[in-house]
Amino acid sequence: MKRDSGIWLRLMLVAFVSNGLGPFGLKILTERNLSAFQPQYLVYWYLGGAVFGLIAFLKSSRHVAAREVALGAAMGLCSLCGQTFTGLALSNGVPGHVAFPLTTGGSLFLVAAAGIFLFHERVGPYGVAGIILGIVSLILLSIV
Amino acid sequence: MKSGYLYTLLGLLSFSSLGVLHKVADVKQCRPAAVNALIYGWSLLFSVLTVMLIKDSTPSAPASVISIAVPFGVAASIAILAFQAGIRHGDIATSWLAINLSAGIPTIASILIYNEPLSFQKTIALLLIPVSMTLLFIDKRHADRRREQSEPNAVASGRVRR
Repeated sequence: MKRDSGIWLRLMLVAFVSNGLGPFGLKILTERNLSAFQPQYLVYWYLGGAVFGLIAFLKSSRHVAAREVALGAAMGLCSLCGQTFTGLALSNGVPGHVAFPLTTGGSLFLVAAAGIFLFHERVGPYGVAGIILGIVSLILLSIV
Repeated sequence: MKSGYLYTLLGLLSFSSLGVLHKVADVKQCRPAAVNALIYGWSLLFSVLTVMLIKDSTPSAPASVISIAVPFGVAASIAILAFQAGIRHGDIATSWLAINLSAGIPTIASILIYNEPLSFQKTIALLLIPVSMTLLFIDKRHADRRREQSEPNAVASGRVRR
C-alpha cells in the first residue's frame, strides 16, 4: 500500500481534534457538579464509542478475525488499566504534576523508542525535533 | 507513597502498550473499523464490570450524565478510527505524538468556555503544539520522498521491500 503524507496529515488532524474533544466531557461533568457519577460516565462514554464503532464497522464488513478480537481486548484493557492506575497513583499521594508528565511524556518516549527499535521506523531530524518539542509541550500542559 | 509510584509506572506501561498494540494491529493487517469497534466493545464490558464488581454500584446514571458522555464517547471513537487508519500511512513513533498532542484542545476549550487563566507556561505549551505537528509533517514528507526514490532502485536491483 502506498503511504501518503497528505492522507496521514488529514487523518491525524481528525484524530487530533476528536481525541482532544473526547476527554472534555469530564471537565463539563466536574463543572456541573456531577463528578460522583464518573464511573457511570465512563460506561456511557464507552457505550457512545462502541455504538459509533459498530455502525462504522457494519458499513464495511460483517465478520471479525480472531486477531482483531484479541488485539481489541488487549487494547481496551490497556486503556482502562492506564486510566485506573493513573487514578490510583493520584489517590496514593503522587502529585498530579508528577503523575501526568510521567504517564503522558513517558508513554510518548517509550512508543517512539518502540517504533524505532522494534518496528525499525526511521525518524529524521525534523521528526526527532517534533517529538522532543511535543514531549516538552505535553509536560508543560501537565504541570501547570 | 511507594505504591503510588508503582501505580504511576503501571499506568505508564499500560498507555505505552496501547500505543505499541496500535502498531501491532497495523502490522497484522487488522481493519481499522474492526479494531475500533472491538476496543470500545471490550472497554464497555470492562467498565461495566468495574462499576458493578469493584465500585459495587450500578451503571444507571441521570440523563444529564448520559447526554454528556455519549457524544464525547463518539468523538473519541472517531479519533481511534482515524488514528488506526492513519498509521497505515505513517509511523507509530510520530503518529502517537500527533494524537497525544490533542491534550491542548481541552486546555483551549477550558480557557474559552470556563475562562480558565492562561499562564505563561500554558501559552508556551500551546504554541509548541502546531510547531511540533508541522515538524512531524515535514519529516513525514521527507520520509515519503526517500521511500519513493529508493523503491525503484530496490526493485531494479532485486532487493526485497520491507
